[in-house]
Amino acid sequence: MTAVRAAGPRPRTGPARRQVVRLVLLLAILAVVLYPLLWMLGASVKSQEEIVNNIGLLPERFTPANYSDGWANFDVGFGRFFLNSALISLLAVLGNAVSCLLAAYAFARLRFRLRRVWFAIMIGTLLLPGHVLIVPQYILFRSLGLVGAQWPYLPLLIPHLLATDAFFVFLIVQFMRGIPNELDEAAKIDGASEYGIFRHVILPLSRPALVTTAIFTFIWTWNDFFRQLVYLSQLPDYTVPVALTLFIDSTSQSEVGPMFAMSVLSLLPVFLFFVAFQRMLVEGINTSGLKG
Amino acid sequence: MYAATPVPAGPPAADHHRTARPGRRLANLLAATLVAVPLLFGAAACGGEDASDDPNAPVKISIFWWGGDARAKLTEDALALYTKKHPNVTFEKTWQANQGYFDKLATLTAGGNPPDIFQIDDNFLAEYAARNATLDLTSYQQSGKVDTSRFPESLWKYGVVDGKLAGLAAGENTQGLVYNKTLLTKHGLPEPTTGMSWEQHIAWAAQVSAKAGMPGTQDPSADYKAFWVWLRQQGKDLYRDKALGFAAEDVTAWFELWKGARDRKATPTPDVIHEGNVTDVTKQLVVTGKAATSWVWANQLPELKKNTKDELGVVAYPGDPSAQWARASMYYSVFKGSKHRDAAVDVINFLVNDPEAAQVLGTDRGLPSNLDLRKQVAESATDPAMKLSMQVEEDLASTFGAAPQVPLKGHSTLKSELTKAAEAVQFGRATPAEAARQLVAACTAAIA
Amino acid sequence: MALTTTPEQTRRPPRPVRATRRGSGPGAGREGLAGYVFLSPWLVGLLGITAIPMLLSLYLSFTNYDVLTPWPEVEWVGLANYRRMFTADPAYWHAVRVTVTFALVAVPLKLATALGVALLLNRTWRGVGLFRGLFYLPSLLGGSVALAIVWRSMFNADGAVNSFLAFFGIQGQPWVNDPDWALETLMVLAIWQFGAPMVIFLAGLKQVPTELYEAAAVDGAGPFRQFLSVTLPMLSPVIFFNLVLETIHGFQGFTAAFVLSNGTGGPVDSTLMYTLKLYISGFTDLEMGYASAMAWVFLVAIGLITAVFFSTGRFWVHYSDGSDS
Repeated sequence: MTAVRAAGPRPRTGPARRQVVRLVLLLAILAVVLYPLLWMLGASVKSQEEIVNNIGLLPERFTPANYSDGWANFDVGFGRFFLNSALISLLAVLGNAVSCLLAAYAFARLRFRLRRVWFAIMIGTLLLPGHVLIVPQYILFRSLGLVGAQWPYLPLLIPHLLATDAFFVFLIVQFMRGIPNELDEAAKIDGASEYGIFRHVILPLSRPALVTTAIFTFIWTWNDFFRQLVYLSQLPDYTVPVALTLFIDSTSQSEVGPMFAMSVLSLLPVFLFFVAFQRMLVEGINTSGLKG
Repeated sequence: MYAATPVPAGPPAADHHRTARPGRRLANLLAATLVAVPLLFGAAACGGEDASDDPNAPVKISIFWWGGDARAKLTEDALALYTKKHPNVTFEKTWQANQGYFDKLATLTAGGNPPDIFQIDDNFLAEYAARNATLDLTSYQQSGKVDTSRFPESLWKYGVVDGKLAGLAAGENTQGLVYNKTLLTKHGLPEPTTGMSWEQHIAWAAQVSAKAGMPGTQDPSADYKAFWVWLRQQGKDLYRDKALGFAAEDVTAWFELWKGARDRKATPTPDVIHEGNVTDVTKQLVVTGKAATSWVWANQLPELKKNTKDELGVVAYPGDPSAQWARASMYYSVFKGSKHRDAAVDVINFLVNDPEAAQVLGTDRGLPSNLDLRKQVAESATDPAMKLSMQVEEDLASTFGAAPQVPLKGHSTLKSELTKAAEAVQFGRATPAEAARQLVAACTAAIA
Repeated sequence: MALTTTPEQTRRPPRPVRATRRGSGPGAGREGLAGYVFLSPWLVGLLGITAIPMLLSLYLSFTNYDVLTPWPEVEWVGLANYRRMFTADPAYWHAVRVTVTFALVAVPLKLATALGVALLLNRTWRGVGLFRGLFYLPSLLGGSVALAIVWRSMFNADGAVNSFLAFFGIQGQPWVNDPDWALETLMVLAIWQFGAPMVIFLAGLKQVPTELYEAAAVDGAGPFRQFLSVTLPMLSPVIFFNLVLETIHGFQGFTAAFVLSNGTGGPVDSTLMYTLKLYISGFTDLEMGYASAMAWVFLVAIGLITAVFFSTGRFWVHYSDGSDS
């Protein structure tokens, strides 16, 4: 990028000024974007009475006990829910990365009968609002003996192993189609099979798509409330989004302060996951790719 | 290179001319699925029989309720007490907050494996009873295995749907008007009293608005429980048999009443009213400092108190207090297809009638249904807000009228349509008469 | 990582093969077989997990299914649900209007915001990762209880937004509590959570070969010209993806509406999005048959919109794999 700019016709002050403008612009947007989150952070150290009544950013009385109360709440402790969520989310990442990548390679690069039909069906599965599928899917999983089995997370994980998240299949397809076809051709001339091309050409070049898939799968699984609520029935199996709602029973008991504290904490793992993985987006791959 | 391996054009959703064969295949697949799946459903939906006649055989009973952490602890303690007395009975306990509770309960029921015992409220009791999901407890009641002899009569009768006892009241509550005592004292204003007429209440609220600078009362025109009390005072009801117990004119009169109150500045502005039109205790205007009075259930006082520094008081809704009744705040029901029906019935009887269990459970689900136990619990209560709410309910108990029938299926539609209609009037989107007409039309369709 | 766990790989290790000519028809022969091998997990998932519930919901849309009634007693009602939707339920058409309004405004604005911020964050400088994370933070919140409380406090009559406006002497609104403004508040919330398309744009930008910029620079193209002639065309597959998915997502827009209105769609149905109406019908009113009918009408309608996107895609989406649609 710097090379591009140096080659540009503008005088030396140009890029520096643009840099400043960009930074100011970013900070302005960031302030607007982050204000609600700062408010949330503030609320996590307010007493319940203050959260209800004080709309200001800062607490009048600093109440860090929300964190210890929230963490110690419920029989099993909140840490258990973090572990459960982390386990489900990581396994989902693994499942999606493998299964969606395989399907996407087929759709993007291989020719086979009914390809267009299958592709259309795949897009079609994105379109049906999920709420009408919950009951039929529950009945299906139950008749398959997956509900309430030894391991309660099976119904939450099996769909990921079978690439049912068409979103990611489509996403990876779109990325793969940005990979120049000449690379496949060159590999074919070298005698590589479809599997060889996948392994040695497509897979290394699919990293941005895979990283994106990993990030989204992790975060969306981490936040998924409804399905986890339906399939998990024992407190020790609960996940973070389910556990967060336990603080607020709107008709009777509400512990808003600890709920905010745990909500803030629950952002940390996903935030760190994101910051760690987005690094992989940074490193360009194209130059080497083109020469490969 | 390209010519040798022409890559077919990509995402082809709009391409139709090659879909003929898969179309037929899809039709076959659909047909096969529709034949196969009912079998799955059938298998999933059929309930079981009692596994064994031996009363001492080990039994595991699943139980499902909504509530907070405190309720979970109390309930688990009470169930442990039962296991101590009946070592062969253990429990599979599931609890969560009310968000999503009924979604999950419905899904479990659809899957053919609802819990043996589940907590339910009057919103859904008729729905579940009408679909034969709840066990009729009448025969158990007659044989004394479910003891309602110490219940207020109107309380257990509020669990009867179509002549079947579908749920056992887990606790009692009634409508309560909660007001900000500190604010009134500060401005030298009188406190509201039970038995004030609606006109008097509105005049009082207008006075509060003027003197204290805080709207005197939340406008409850969107609140079904206030509307219900008012209707009963007019000799009407929310439901009569299988129909609505009111007409469009009644709704119009109700909306006009509160339109007058808004014109007199007795209430907040429509957007603030909307904010308070939720069941959430933390958003009631009396605790968020946006009105001096909120329309809630009397037993919510202790939880409301946690959200404000001000002192709170509670009285009955305006008008003749005999329009209020001993309402089951929630019920325990037993799944009709349960494999352990008798054992489950014994558990719920234990939860409401056992002195030790009552002592453990306290007033968490409302005042204990059993009057003897209620007295016992009241004597040991320490929280001042709890004492006050029990006192008020105790005072009202002498004037309680007969219970209305349990709301019909479609009750949730009635509640949401009432809110919509009332807010349409408040925001000036409809006249009271228009909104009332639409409300009655929508509700009539929903309960049909 | 991917290959070590796939059974195909163990059965058919990648081996150098002669470039044998495959069978005559397209998709026949070895590549056709390979296609199905790679597709197999997805196919199993489709037929085993996805298709059955979908087809069941299609069947249910012709019944009076109420969730609680055991399966054998479900009654076939023909087209009654569809007839009711189109002729006897004014709230349905209201929900359609709300949803279309929402999607038409929120989707383009969200995409524009996401693309704009992605371009600003594309350069590599120290701390850019943190910035990306901070911009993504709102999207991490999903539809949680905390989010609902935060947003309702921001967009109250006495909330932070109005204090901010008052600073500039602008008269505020009760936003989320006013039927005239609640939908707009919802749109702001949707746009605020622009993290997902932003990340996809960022990933897409990384795929643009730097050589192309160098070549453009040599030809004397300025930054704007480079954006038009290099960035946009190279990014078009990803733009296309975001457009299609955000459109679907925008029309489905459930979470924001559910969170902001406590699941009611209020005030006065001003935020009654299509899927929220569907959810209320299915789970609160226990009219799952009716809800399923709504879902299938939705599928057809959005399917048509998606098909239009795909058919116009060939005119503006540029694929490096040599195909043009």
